[in-house]
Parts: sequence; structure tokens; C-alpha cells
Amino acid sequence: MNGEDDAPEIATSAEGHVLDPTTAAALLDQTRRRAQRQFDTRPPLLMLLAAVLVLVCYGDIWLSVRGQDPYTGPSGTALVVLYTILFSLVAVVVVVRSRATSGVRRRSSRQQRAAGITFATIWVSVYVFDGALYNAGVGPAIVFGIYPAAAPLIIVGGAAAAYEAAQEHWGWSALSLAVVALAALAAYAGPANVWGVVGIGLSLLLLTRAAAQAWHWQGPAWARTDGH
Amino acid sequence: MGTEQLDPLIHAPARLRIVATLAALPDGDTVSFTRLQDMLGLTPGNLITHLRKLEDAGYIDTEKTGSGPASLTTAALTHKGRTALDTYTAALRDLIAGL
Repeated sequence: MNGEDDAPEIATSAEGHVLDPTTAAALLDQTRRRAQRQFDTRPPLLMLLAAVLVLVCYGDIWLSVRGQDPYTGPSGTALVVLYTILFSLVAVVVVVRSRATSGVRRRSSRQQRAAGITFATIWVSVYVFDGALYNAGVGPAIVFGIYPAAAPLIIVGGAAAAYEAAQEHWGWSALSLAVVALAALAAYAGPANVWGVVGIGLSLLLLTRAAAQAWHWQGPAWARTDGH
Repeated sequence: MGTEQLDPLIHAPARLRIVATLAALPDGDTVSFTRLQDMLGLTPGNLITHLRKLEDAGYIDTEKTGSGPASLTTAALTHKGRTALDTYTAALRDLIAGL
């Protein structure tokens, strides 16, 4: 029996307890996976939730702009829904993150704060630049369509891919690069359909990431004792 | 094939779980004694005993800050501890492959 419930009993057994290699491997694998889950600030369930919310947000905007001729941009209601969902997701992320990092002191906390400020600055700058395009007389198809749907993902996604690669988080880096490629290609769908393409594509990428992460948590086969 | 090549300091259930849990943190990050105890389900006395043994071997670093009820003890795996766990894992893999 190597179920999670009896782990403390195993752990508190006598010092001289003979641990055979298979049991040790199972205990190591089980403990490692459980610790990874508990310390993970971006668990698969959060990715799943993000995938659903992204689909709702972009779908909501796409429904408000499809068929517009000439293109004028998303409705006020669609934007209210978008920002309500966005802030709700941010709140969930903060809660999940604070639970995962409870009692944990990051050596690199200053570096992470600096990265957070950098990403926030980049994100805001993308929209400030959109304002400059509007000010210069660029039409709504770009200012309220292609640019806000695709540019934030290309620019912030590119920065995220570089950051994650520097941390050797290859899965997250690959996801960020896929988001960049998706947004660039989706821009060809036009000012209305770009919202739909990005929404579906981003949602699928997040679902794929959640599935890959859940699979990774299954652990190495050599140490598995369940299902034999 | 026996278990002689397995590091005896790690090859004990409680210490194996402590080291594996600390190894899940990025290099240099620390975890509080309370969080570690919650995660492992060990009694404070038991956890302290095993942490001391691991610290004496240089596998973990503990640090106590503050005093009284506000004191905070943290633990982190050292580079030596991480290497020892990697070596232990490789030896375990070889043993299982040879079974």
C-alpha cells in the first residue's frame, strides 16, 4: 500500500526500517509529485479555467463585432464583460499563487518583482501605442480590431517566451512562442474574425498546456507502483 | 543486489520525503518549518530530528529568524543535498533495473 493517506505512517516508522528499492522509488516519486503540485503556482486547473475564460472573453467580443460593415469595434457591454472576467481571473491567480507560495521564500523574489513590473509596463505600453495610432488617424479596423486582438499577445508573448527560456521553463517558453505565432497568423483573419481565431486558438493552447502539465505530474514510469 | 550503494542518510522514509519535498523548490528557495510539517504530516519533534541529521551532513540549510512566537525557521536543500538526491535517484534506478 502506497496510497497518499498512509504516507505519514511510512515516514514516521522506525529509523532502522528496511526500505526496499521499489518502495523507496514509489515514495520518492509520490513525494516529489505531491510537492510539485503543492508548490506549483500555475496548476492545470488554473490553465483550464483560463482556457474557458479566454474563450468567453474573445468570443464575447467576436459576437459583438461580427458582421460590422464598416468595422467600428467591440461594444461597451462586450468590453465590460471582458474586463470583469479579466479581473476575476487575476484575483483567482493571486489566490492560487499565495496558497502555493505560503511559507516559501524565493531567493529570486526581487528578480520576479522586476519581471512583473517589466511585463506590466510592456502590456500598458502596447495599449498606449494603440492610442498613438488612433491619434494619428489610423482606422478602427486596426485600432479597435487587429491591433488590440493580436499585438498584446505578440509583444507580451515574445517577452514571456524569452523570460521563460532564461529560466529554463521550456514548456512555458514553447507555449508563449505558440501564442506569438497564433496571434500573428490570426491577424490575417481581419478585424472582426481575429477575435474569434485568437479566442479559439489561445483556448486550445491553454488546454494543451494543462493536459501536458497533468501528464507530467504522473511521474516517471520506473517509480510507479500503481496500476500494476 | 543490495541497497548498500544507496546513501543511508537519504534512504530512510522520513528523510527521503523531506529531501524530495525540498528538491521540488527552485535552487536557493526556502520553505518554513510549519509549511514543511504540514506537507509531510510529521510531528515537530520528528521533523526537527531528521532536519538536524540532514543539516549535519550538509544536505540542507536551516535558518531561524526572530524570537519567541514570531520566530520563523526555514529550510532549504543545499547544492550538496541536491547532488546527493540525484546520485541516490540514479542508484535507485540502477537497482530497480537490475531486479
